[in-house]
Amino acid sequence: MIIIFQISVCIVSVIFLLLGIYIFFHNKNSPVNRTIFILDFATFLWLYSYSQMYVSESYGKALWLMRIGHTGVIFIPILFYHFITVFLNSHYKREKYILVGFYTIIAIFILMLYGSTSLVSGLYRYNWGFYPKAGKFYPLFLAYFLLGFNFCICKLYVYYKKNRHDISATRQLQLKYLFASFFVTTLGVVDFLPFYGFKILPFGYVTIFLWAIISSYAIVRHQLLDIEVVIKKTLVFAGLLASVFAILVLPTLLIQEYVFRGASSSGKLLGLALSGIIIILSLRRIENFLISITDKHLFQKKYDYRELLRTFTSEVLTVIDLNKLVDLTVDKLTDIVKVSSSAVLLLNEEKQQFNVVASRNVRDSKVVLVRPDGIVTFLEQTHGYLLRKELIERRVYIPPSIQEIIDKLNAELIIPMVLHAEVIGILSLGKKKSDEDYTQDDLDIILPLARTLAIAISNARLFSELGKAQAEAAQREKMAVIGTLSAGINHEICNPLGIARGQCEAFLLNVKDGLYNNKSSEELLTKAKEIMTKVIKETDRATAITKKLSSFAKPAKGEAELVNIDKEIDDVLGLLGYELKLEKIEFEKQIEKDLPHVLVDKKQLQEVLFNLIRNAGQAIGEKGKITVAARQGAGRVSIDIKDTGSGIPEDKLKELFNPFFTTKEPGKGTGLGLFIVRQVVEKNGGKIYLKETKVGEGTTFTVEFPVTATRESRI
Amino acid sequence: MSKARIVAIDDEVEFIDMIKTYFEPRGYDITVAVRGTKGIELVKEKKPNVVLMDLKMPGIDGDEVLSLLKSMDPSPKVIFVTAYDDGGKTKARLLKMGAYAYFDKPVASLRELEEAVNKAAQS
Repeated sequence: MIIIFQISVCIVSVIFLLLGIYIFFHNKNSPVNRTIFILDFATFLWLYSYSQMYVSESYGKALWLMRIGHTGVIFIPILFYHFITVFLNSHYKREKYILVGFYTIIAIFILMLYGSTSLVSGLYRYNWGFYPKAGKFYPLFLAYFLLGFNFCICKLYVYYKKNRHDISATRQLQLKYLFASFFVTTLGVVDFLPFYGFKILPFGYVTIFLWAIISSYAIVRHQLLDIEVVIKKTLVFAGLLASVFAILVLPTLLIQEYVFRGASSSGKLLGLALSGIIIILSLRRIENFLISITDKHLFQKKYDYRELLRTFTSEVLTVIDLNKLVDLTVDKLTDIVKVSSSAVLLLNEEKQQFNVVASRNVRDSKVVLVRPDGIVTFLEQTHGYLLRKELIERRVYIPPSIQEIIDKLNAELIIPMVLHAEVIGILSLGKKKSDEDYTQDDLDIILPLARTLAIAISNARLFSELGKAQAEAAQREKMAVIGTLSAGINHEICNPLGIARGQCEAFLLNVKDGLYNNKSSEELLTKAKEIMTKVIKETDRATAITKKLSSFAKPAKGEAELVNIDKEIDDVLGLLGYELKLEKIEFEKQIEKDLPHVLVDKKQLQEVLFNLIRNAGQAIGEKGKITVAARQGAGRVSIDIKDTGSGIPEDKLKELFNPFFTTKEPGKGTGLGLFIVRQVVEKNGGKIYLKETKVGEGTTFTVEFPVTATRESRI
Repeated sequence: MSKARIVAIDDEVEFIDMIKTYFEPRGYDITVAVRGTKGIELVKEKKPNVVLMDLKMPGIDGDEVLSLLKSMDPSPKVIFVTAYDDGGKTKARLLKMGAYAYFDKPVASLRELEEAVNKAAQS
């Protein structure tokens, strides 16, 4: 029991030292942190020296340890005072005399402690070890200690009384915490009882430990430094220390007790060396073990953040559909961070404003943040975040227009989504459902997440733009191709019209020239009917081709319907027929009987056939034959487009479906042909491949579409 | 003076029909063919004064027919009636090869075509 007391005093002292160092290095520039460090160091001095004094065997050594430790105790009230002053942002100037007084008294006490027995007259020997005995002037020290301490509490109280209406809720809470911690600490006066021979275990170290934890919590909240980290690290350190201590002490004790009982110092050294090896071997594992223990049992919220990161990296950030991406973002953020509301706003470049694209539980999702708006400007200039609570604490004036936006978004935390130094979007998160504040730890996770989101959003946008660009490229290509068709089209349209005109002209001239004079009116009427029938037939021919052309030129709707392949081949041939005729290319169609219709976008099928037949024609150049054969097999309809052209050289086969690949002469093809053909075919659930090719003999491409019994949307 | 003998060669039946509608009532001796080879046979048989001919046709093209006809004796005058348009290059080439005239399809005026036929027959 006693040994536990002695060890725990030692451990607490070391924890103070570590805590002090941690807080100091966390923010060296903060006076609060520096003061805490010194205070923690004084506490360490006191507790560590006392713990050594308790286990000391020699009176003289114990006396010195007592003096060192007590020096720390003398400093504690003044350091408390410093801490309070810094914490309350008071000015030292006004309190110069108090300080001078304080330090004069301290100097006197130190002199008394080291130079005389008037402060401490000697040492008691209790069952827990040596303990200082109060000298005749010790009551003076007690008075100084208690007055100093109460002075600090009074100062806090006065400050609270004076400012409680002006200070923020957080600040009030901090003050309350500090009060609580100081009251707990006053219980530590029991430590003075054994000075006068009362055999009461000096457990003041527990109260000062509590003080440290509570005040750190209060302050650290103030600085947005996550208390979890402080406590976790403290606990991990404490556990580590305890383990190391146990490992160091236990083998040493055991070895000394059972192996080298009463042996010389070499036996002790051997035990020490053995335990040293054990420590070295197990230190890392113990540390990891302790961290995982504290993570698991004390800070389960941390797991949520892991879940957040895991969910975002695996489920959200990989989504390339922009709408889905933002919806998922909002949903997952709300669920995992457990916030009351959330929203994603994206920049509308045209209007130069941010609009809500996805939200949960916001008051008004139509809220708009215009570019030169306060919030946007702040986010764009700082790339930092906006925390409502922080603004209130810092007493930043929030203009009503901005307050309105914050209210509408139900926002507590507003974060920019930055990409290439530009704010492309804004993430707004409401209060946590637990009513806890956002801590630095939260921000450390959410801020990088917002940056990553910006990348994902930009990817999704690029992807959709790419899709659009591809569709546009396909359309451009088509229009370019139609441009090259003009000669053929001209022929196909003008010829029937010319013939119709010629028939009419011939009839009229024949009448005019008296050539029909000998004909009866009935004969003449029959002749006229004959001519008119021919004229109608020719104008119908011309109309059909313009219809085919305009239908072909229109962009595809992306709607699937049941399409008759035979008819589509005919339509495409209507556009290409003259061109093929000019080059003396024979065209043959072999369509299997009862070929089922395929469920595709009609226009896209036309585009595919058009491109492939035209390519075939261009591969032939002049004089040759194109055969288009369609048949059914294995649940598919296959269309072979075979030409007797030049064939494709082996080294070009790999690039065949690459964008911009072409073997055509400049001006004859942009190269998007087969690339787009493949995209269109695949979009319609089909596939295209090169069936066979032989240089000098010809090429066959095959397009396959599944035979679909039911009408279902495929695109 | 008797009217000219014409052989018209064009793969487009409707065009041939229209030409016949005009020339036949006017007393021209007109025979038609839809293939170049058939046309050459007709020329050999009928020995026309004028051949009206399309340029691009399945089988033998108009220009090949022209060079064959040029080697004949007597050689008929050849008038091209075609929609083929490459900015006048082919027209110039055909005229250089010995074609008598070149008309664009669709024919703007049948009267003009008739005049050209008559002029060709007389020369």
